[in-house]
Amino acid sequence: MSSRKGQKGAARVVREQLARERRRKRTLWVSAAAVIVLVIAGLIGWSVYSSQRAGEFTAPPGANEAGTGIVLGEGPVTIDLYEDYLCPACKQFQQVSGDTINQLVSEGKVRVVFHPVAYLNRFSTTDYSTRSSAASGCAAEGGRFREYTDALFERQPPEGGDGLSNDALIDIGVGVGLARDDFGSCVRDGKYQPWTEHVTEEASKANITGTPTVLVDGKPVADRSPEGIRAAVEAAGR
Amino acid sequence: MTVSEPSIRATRWPAVRPWLGVAARLGLAAVWLVAGASKVDDLAASGRAVHAYQLLPYDVATVVGAALPFVELALGVLLLLGLATRLAAGVSAALLVVFIAGITSAWSRGLAIDCGCFGSGGQLAEGQAPSYLPEILRDLGFLALAGFLLIWPRTPVSVDGWLTGDVPVEGEDE
Repeated sequence: MSSRKGQKGAARVVREQLARERRRKRTLWVSAAAVIVLVIAGLIGWSVYSSQRAGEFTAPPGANEAGTGIVLGEGPVTIDLYEDYLCPACKQFQQVSGDTINQLVSEGKVRVVFHPVAYLNRFSTTDYSTRSSAASGCAAEGGRFREYTDALFERQPPEGGDGLSNDALIDIGVGVGLARDDFGSCVRDGKYQPWTEHVTEEASKANITGTPTVLVDGKPVADRSPEGIRAAVEAAGR
Repeated sequence: MTVSEPSIRATRWPAVRPWLGVAARLGLAAVWLVAGASKVDDLAASGRAVHAYQLLPYDVATVVGAALPFVELALGVLLLLGLATRLAAGVSAALLVVFIAGITSAWSRGLAIDCGCFGSGGQLAEGQAPSYLPEILRDLGFLALAGFLLIWPRTPVSVDGWLTGDVPVEGEDE
């Protein structure tokens, strides 16, 4: 240190020390303020998320007891299908294995629970996943869930675009025999959007991290081919 | 601290270092701003991405997922302004360590997920291989930026510098 004799040097040291002390204090205050900013940012996120949650939902007729999916058929074995109407792999799965599943339903071997989850909202500019899922709830109300689901996959819009408009969703419904008035207002009002949110949240809670996911009696099926699904159903039925 | 003697005097280092600092600061700011912005418009999906790591209970994961994008944006703004740089760098480094640990753990448990670092996240589609190694290396790169700022937080064109009112001097505030 400046251990020179003379008061000038000493005074300088004191001045420097004071300045350093001031800087230290200022840094401390700035850091404290920054911490508060970060905490507040986190709280904002939490509250925005909480306010986005719908809370109360009404499940459409034909839903299972927990309100997490639409039930098709009756049978000793349960197949859970988790699909997003925007997911290309789901469309492919429906094309390849949809008939087999319908067959198993009509043979009375399985009970299908279809969970129309909205996982892919960020892949459309219009929350197409949520809108289409809610519309499928309206179709369930009109008793045409399966037909509507098939038609939605057939007309699936590409990822990354703006999806199908509500009008297009309504036209598809009319095409499978739904009444334009009731179905149309149900889709436009987003009557089942809170339900869609419930379906999505429960699926996530159940560790369903991707679509399509196929469970046979609660166990994930890796081989989603027609043969794979038949084999899993037979194994579960034994 | 007592006076820290700049013992090694690489010829250009004192001149170059402040500007490397600015680059690190702005680079890290960009990382956080992009990461936060890509998640902020679908907080539920962000929560699902956290939940996909299967490390936290669902309710905790959704809270973390909702809070994280905003914290990332706030960090980005702090670094962009150069305000509380050392603290922001420290928090950044801590977050990155947590991310790297999370990805490593997902890898070691054989999960097939997207890290969800810049949006998306969750399980990968059929036939899509997880890219854990590149994700970890990328985060290590970001960690290096944060480390630089942690050691040398004083950079030109920063609110910190403006508040303290003097030019960053070698050996100062360190």
